Amino acid sequence: MSANELRQPKRASAALFKKLGMDLVPDNEKVAAAIGHIDDFRLKVRSFVMAMETCVKCGACAEACHTYLGTRDPNNIPAGRVDLIRKVYKRYFTVQGQLFPGLVGAQDLDLETIEKWYSYFYQCSECRRCAHVCPFGIDTAEVTFIARQILYWLGIAPQLHTATADAILRTGNHMGLTKAGIIDTLEFLSEEIEEEYDGLKVDFPVDKPDSDILYVPSSADFMLNPRTLFGAGQFFKYVGANWTISSEITEAGNFGYLSDQTRIQREMVTRLLAEAKKYGCKKIVWGECGHGWRAAKMYVPTLADLVAVKQIPITHIHDEVEAYIKAGLLELDPKRNDSKITLHDPCNYARACGHADNMRTIMNAVVPKGAFVEMTPNREANFCCGGGSGILFDDPGMYQFRIEASNKKAEQVRETGAEILCAPCSICKAQLYPMVKEHKLPVEVFGLIDLVGHALVFRE
Amino acid sequence: MAFVEIEGKQVEVDEDGFMVDPAEWFEGWAHHIAKQEGIEELTERHWHVVNFLKDYYAKTGIAPMIRKLCKESGIPLKEMYELFPTGPAKGACKIAGLPKPTGCV
Amino acid sequence: MSLFLGQILPYIAAVVFISGVTWRIWRWMIPRIVHNITLSPFPGSWSKAIVWILWQFATFWNLLKFDRPLWLGAWFMHIALFLMLGGHVMAFYTVGLQFHVMAPGIITAEMSLAMSDWIGTILGLIFLVALLYLLGRRLANEQVRAISSSSDYLHLFLLIGIATVGNIMRLFPEYHLGYAPVREYLAGLFLFNPVPLPDHSLFLIKYTLVMILMIIFPFSKLMHSFGFFWERWIVNRPYTEPARGLPGARLQLHK
Repeated sequence: MSANELRQPKRASAALFKKLGMDLVPDNEKVAAAIGHIDDFRLKVRSFVMAMETCVKCGACAEACHTYLGTRDPNNIPAGRVDLIRKVYKRYFTVQGQLFPGLVGAQDLDLETIEKWYSYFYQCSECRRCAHVCPFGIDTAEVTFIARQILYWLGIAPQLHTATADAILRTGNHMGLTKAGIIDTLEFLSEEIEEEYDGLKVDFPVDKPDSDILYVPSSADFMLNPRTLFGAGQFFKYVGANWTISSEITEAGNFGYLSDQTRIQREMVTRLLAEAKKYGCKKIVWGECGHGWRAAKMYVPTLADLVAVKQIPITHIHDEVEAYIKAGLLELDPKRNDSKITLHDPCNYARACGHADNMRTIMNAVVPKGAFVEMTPNREANFCCGGGSGILFDDPGMYQFRIEASNKKAEQVRETGAEILCAPCSICKAQLYPMVKEHKLPVEVFGLIDLVGHALVFRE
Repeated sequence: MAFVEIEGKQVEVDEDGFMVDPAEWFEGWAHHIAKQEGIEELTERHWHVVNFLKDYYAKTGIAPMIRKLCKESGIPLKEMYELFPTGPAKGACKIAGLPKPTGCV
Repeated sequence: MSLFLGQILPYIAAVVFISGVTWRIWRWMIPRIVHNITLSPFPGSWSKAIVWILWQFATFWNLLKFDRPLWLGAWFMHIALFLMLGGHVMAFYTVGLQFHVMAPGIITAEMSLAMSDWIGTILGLIFLVALLYLLGRRLANEQVRAISSSSDYLHLFLLIGIATVGNIMRLFPEYHLGYAPVREYLAGLFLFNPVPLPDHSLFLIKYTLVMILMIIFPFSKLMHSFGFFWERWIVNRPYTEPARGLPGARLQLHK
């Protein structure tokens, strides 16, 4: 199969890479460079080596992967996708692959395979459902991370991810939001809340010195998800928090995590901790974003360079809302969310961050009894929305892929008969807003904190 | 970087054909992109949205929240999609010379 | 030939097997677990994590939960294999008296021999049937076939070969070979005091196949038996949540 038959997202230009300070690796050097990178990774990252060396090709992961279910392409079977790298790994770094390449399925690396990497590792949404299902727990997402990193170093990355990386370096968020834009949007939201909730005054402090809490919202909320910001503002107002949003890190996501973990992901962590320190924050509270929350919760402790700021605890706003609900400190009126509602467990919440319970505690507190219907499967076994890891491409071929990759999700949602689809993650929302239309699902998409804000009863 | 020629002017565009420098915007650009977007003619309603976007971008440096765009332009979201088939964040912004939105959109 | 098969190859096989496995594991230990990538729900402590890993190991829980047809073949194949491996060691060491040795008051020597025969035969058959089932699955299931290489089939053929020969020796008295001659030969190997191979062609075939298996083991996917623990050690580890509560807020969780 030649490169132009492969399904590939639109590539970043050499000029865009240049803006990030990177030169493209010329074609005749790509193979050697890629092998060199694999060699480095196999000496550094155990999860990569174990994924390379443990798989027995049992095929249990095939039906577990929404991408395979949607495309029926054998290279989208998680074991098959990883094999695009494993074949090369075997050829260069195992005895059997050096001696009997044909027998054990080892292959020399060539440009065609690199093109396949670009195609298939950007069809994987790093949802880790295969790791959840695999009898060994082989984490295919670890291989996708590394494949994408190698491609990035070669100068191969989607325009979307690279342009977003550029926005991160310029502004500290994915959308390229400026401070003026952030303040204007939040003032607008304050007015909207006042109008909708009988004069309720909710301020959204930006860059406020001496704040106790740094709230990190998703930048997509500033374009697409006003109610997610409403909810956070209402919650902080209700509990009387001394909080702020930093205009330097108005981003819960971390596209660096999805394509360049060495530089861009680190940049976000550095910014985050510097900002928390700058405003004297004692705690960082995360907004609704799946991959970004995983990157914050599980990676900041190992990525942070400065010990002093490493100590600032990071929790998710759902964690805090759950704790306040359990302590009986929030007066909530579930009747305000009186619709049949189902919950989509974002992959990173359910399988990487342990949120299956807290989302349900919150859900049951903010909707009337019986209104919440589970989709099947759910919790850790839930299927990805199809847009995970930022594969929100809009070039026609890839958009078609997004529809296919969300087939399983559409089927799950349809079976519940719900009117509201709660998907508390920015990527899920960005994927599901168009997907509910494509699949003609009669649902509206909201976040979870949206429902909390709507149900909070303010007295005086 | 790629360039397109419109009415004899060279305009620098990115991979997706969005204008690189919004300051270069001129009316011919809007007509040119509208055709690409499948909009036969830019009506007064279209211009209302395009001008709002341009002004807002000049003021804040960002594209407005969709909710704000609809509310302050007085054009509901449904009509927005009728006017701009690829949506306000992509089609309308492109015509108005704003950069392509990045991140989770 | 019989000198090579009987007195040289066994040592080569043992050395390759032990050093090969050690080398592979040593290589796994070089790279680090860089970030905590545990799967949630998180085990609360290391002891819970280890119980979960062992539970997965003993039951093939994930397959039972997500791929019942595969579980059927895989679990029975592996459990039969493990019990037979143990059985071989015990039976050759005690000349079939292992159950008598374990519970001398209850099980007589004759009973132990009969049990050893019966259990061995049944496990051998389960093992063979399960292997054939897995081979059939690999061939029939389009998805599994798509991701298989030749070596995946060869491993199965090798095991099927060993199992078939073993079963013939069990089921047909004319091909049977008792514990005693093999024990004598193996004792010679262990004590470096050579005893000739039993003159028994099926035994020779089976024994050779087993030595081949030992030699390829460290250089094949069969290392998954160890890989299981190394992989699970990465993805099933405890995580402790930071405390809840918003410092400085008017409403505090704990007064």
